[in-house]
Amino acid sequence: MTSAVISLQGIAKCFGSLEVIRHLDLDVLEGERHALIGPNGAGKSTLVGMISGLIPLSAGAIFLNGRRIDGLAPERINRLGLGRSFQITRIFPRLSAQENLRIGVMARHGIRYSLFRPATAYSAVAREVEALLAKVRLDGRAGVVAGELSYSEQRALELGMALASEPKVLLLDEPTAGMSRDEADHVVDLIRTIAIGRTVLIVEHDMDVVFSLCDRVTVLAYGELIASGPAAEIRRNARVQEAYLGTEHVA
Amino acid sequence: MDFFVVSLLNGLSYGLLLFMVSAGLTLVFGMMGVLNFAHSSFYMLGAYFGYSVGRLTGFWPALIVAPLGIAFLGALIERYLLRPVHRHGHAHELLVTFGLVFIIDELVKLLYGNYPLKNPMPVELSFSAFRLFGLDYPFYRVFIALVAIVMFGAILALSRFTRVGLIVRAAVRRPHMVEALGHNVPMVFLGVFAGGAALAGLAGVVAGVFYPTGPSMAQELGVIVFVVVVVGGLGSLEGAFVASLLIGIFSSFAVGVNWTLADAFALVGVAGADLWGGAFTVKLSTVAGAIPFVLMFLVLLLRPAGLLGERQ
Amino acid sequence: MKWLAIAAATIGLLLVPVLFGDRFVFVFIQMLTASLFALAFNLLWRHTRLLSFGHAAHFGAGMFATIHLMRLAEANVLAVPLPLIPLGGALAACLLGVVAGYFATVRTGTYFAMITLAVAELIYALGSQWEALFGGEAGLSSMRLPWAGWTFATTGEVYYIVLGWVVPAAAALYFVGLTPLGRLAFAIGDDETRVRFLGYNAHRAKTMVFALSAFHAGLAGGLLALVNENVNYGAFGGTVSASVVLHTFIGGSGVFLGPVIGAAGLTLLGALLSDVTRLWLLYVGAAFVLMMLYSPEGLAALFIANLRLWRELPWPSLVRLNLLGGLAVLAFVCTTVFVVELAARALTEGASATAVVLFGTTWSLSSPVTWAIPIALALAGHVALKAAIRQRRRLEDAVA
Ligand SMILES: Nc1ncnc2c1ncn2[C@@H]1O[C@H](COP(=O)(O)OP(=O)(O)O)[C@@H](O)[C@H]1O
Ligand SMILES: [Mg+2]
Repeated sequence: MTSAVISLQGIAKCFGSLEVIRHLDLDVLEGERHALIGPNGAGKSTLVGMISGLIPLSAGAIFLNGRRIDGLAPERINRLGLGRSFQITRIFPRLSAQENLRIGVMARHGIRYSLFRPATAYSAVAREVEALLAKVRLDGRAGVVAGELSYSEQRALELGMALASEPKVLLLDEPTAGMSRDEADHVVDLIRTIAIGRTVLIVEHDMDVVFSLCDRVTVLAYGELIASGPAAEIRRNARVQEAYLGTEHVA
Repeated sequence: MDFFVVSLLNGLSYGLLLFMVSAGLTLVFGMMGVLNFAHSSFYMLGAYFGYSVGRLTGFWPALIVAPLGIAFLGALIERYLLRPVHRHGHAHELLVTFGLVFIIDELVKLLYGNYPLKNPMPVELSFSAFRLFGLDYPFYRVFIALVAIVMFGAILALSRFTRVGLIVRAAVRRPHMVEALGHNVPMVFLGVFAGGAALAGLAGVVAGVFYPTGPSMAQELGVIVFVVVVVGGLGSLEGAFVASLLIGIFSSFAVGVNWTLADAFALVGVAGADLWGGAFTVKLSTVAGAIPFVLMFLVLLLRPAGLLGERQ
Repeated sequence: MKWLAIAAATIGLLLVPVLFGDRFVFVFIQMLTASLFALAFNLLWRHTRLLSFGHAAHFGAGMFATIHLMRLAEANVLAVPLPLIPLGGALAACLLGVVAGYFATVRTGTYFAMITLAVAELIYALGSQWEALFGGEAGLSSMRLPWAGWTFATTGEVYYIVLGWVVPAAAALYFVGLTPLGRLAFAIGDDETRVRFLGYNAHRAKTMVFALSAFHAGLAGGLLALVNENVNYGAFGGTVSASVVLHTFIGGSGVFLGPVIGAAGLTLLGALLSDVTRLWLLYVGAAFVLMMLYSPEGLAALFIANLRLWRELPWPSLVRLNLLGGLAVLAFVCTTVFVVELAARALTEGASATAVVLFGTTWSLSSPVTWAIPIALALAGHVALKAAIRQRRRLEDAVA
């Protein structure tokens, strides 16, 4: 039996009187590609924020590989092997694409606050940054200041940053949002390759992507877990059809 | 006993003055996110305007006219100096107001000279409220307290029982939405800033005839009012009220206390600390000026959002 | 080209004591320390977007520590060569920077600014009372001891100590920007939260950058103390904290050497003009506000934008643009200064004044000539500005 990498136990989140996540239990298993779907405002980003340490819980506990992580600082959680991307692009606009990724890669090489050599002088880091740039198809734009990249290039960079710390567990919040079909296809291919040997929790709106990419699917609506299980099962689930897929297909 | 009562009364009156000055600052900060560095300069200008107007009309009309003048000035500053840099972010707005401090302070020196003015209290207010331990307690201190309390109540009522506060807060978070609802967002900001300036001006007029009206007025209160805003909590009027009183009372007591750090050590059983000299023999009374800052560090450590500030 | 300019500047700086008298050498020393101070301040702002309004705390800590060390040397307690003593000042400031930075960088934005301001005020308040450490009103004095055949009795000799520290320290600050910590600081300035999700302890990094900035501010202070041989608690005062802000932003915070332009330029102008006018601070404040309005990135940004145009456009048209612009600025500055100085003098004379002395001439307040001059100047400035704007629009069309 595969073990739970991420285990959410009775977690809840209230913003004031608004209950965004309501006592939710969920296990994400070792090595799986797990999709989190649900209508806008269901609480998906909030959930990703809670797991990654951005948003403090109102109740419950979160375990990463059996270790309790709720209440830890984001950087501690990251160093335990969890990386994430953001739905709203969060890159460093004043740094070049290359430097953005270098910031990510440096940390994993333990070069965090060093002062004695230029950042470009670490050849192992530089090689990895090159490879990462090629992976997210930004090798032609390495020197461009991130603030001046196009939207889809910025999205690619956002994904690259999540990969830079080579996390064993990866949370991706709508990685294909706002992309053209072609760009999205590339990102899906990319996720397929990087998912090997990793656990991926991915928030996604596009049902084709979800069912072609993911092993298991969890459906969230109004902060509650409606269904969770193998992709094929979820596709057939009547409640899901009604609550989510139905509206999606009509729209 | 008499030390205690007199210190308490003076502390209250000083604290209420602090509140009068910081009320406008905290309102503008809370609503617009702009910390107006020149706020104490508005306070000083209020005292000088009050003086100039008062010489023509007497104290009472000046109490109305001078704050209106400061409000007008505040409106001009918001419209022509702050609005153009708004898109560069709060740091630039802060910097613009920082530059204004020099301009206002130097202009005041240019127009009114380098020394404090003779700015007497109106006769109808300069009487003794009561006698305390053989000393006359000036009624004007009571008057300052009354103005501050009325100001506090009026602002609270305005934000609780009218929609002004609601609209302003919404205008900050969702300017486009509020615009779509038919409100003139730039006018809202202009009004808030001018209103904050007017409050500082009013405090200036009131304080100017009691404390010296001089070119260092702004500097003397400048940093303390920032401390009040931080201690009270981001944009919290009630917080500013509590913080002002705390700082006023603490400072007022400290001035009269000759304890040293060595005494404090002796109190917990470590005798002879005064032999170490240096910091251990500095009397509390001489470092009374440092108390607000120590209070601020304590608050920031224990309650980063301020006494009554909301946590994010 | 870049290296050529740096080499020329270095040689020029080395020649200062040869070319100028003591009075000017002293002004140059102040320009150098102010420049280093501003560079240290801007390490925080340009990279990390932390705006310190209390950097005098570190500058002053450097000054006091240096004077204390000099006194120890004088009392034969300490045998450190004089040129190395400012390093002690820098280290003391760095230590203070670690503590102050740890608390201040818990917050960012306006709160950070307020905490730094309060730290400086707190130390100022203590400084005025704690005689043993800060020497009270009179402050502390010491003397420079000779070392290795140098007497350090002339300003020229001390100048070389200052230069010998400021240039490497500036280079070090530049280098810091290239290191992993420097790049991380930039990233923190852009998005602190994002940095944390990459596994960095942002608070720790900010504290380190703050301490580095304090170190260099303390070095600048230490050097000045070495030159003055005296310091009092005024070194912690608001004016010192304010001046570094004014210098940095007028010079230009977005470019590494921008703060140097502001610090050196304003220090020089201040030294030349502060005897002439009482209103120096008014002009600096006005220049600062105008800069924030029309060129938030300061003089350096204007300079660089101009440099970029030189590569793209024929030079005669650019010379004309710069001349017209310069003329407009000059005319407006002259108008303002004339009117303000006239008013200042008239106000000092009192209400009954009919004439005032300004620029060595007597001006009658009722004479039309007196008022025609500023009006003519302002008109000239207006015409030049209009022409400059037209010229610029034409050039922009040509580029597009
Ligand atoms: N910081 C916050 N304060 C108050 N409400 C919030 C906050 N963040 C999210 N919400 C609310 O929580 C709900 C869920 O948001 P989110 O997690 O972003 O949904 P999703 O990602 O599924 O679209 C929404 O109704 C949103 O308005
Ligand atoms: Mg979302």
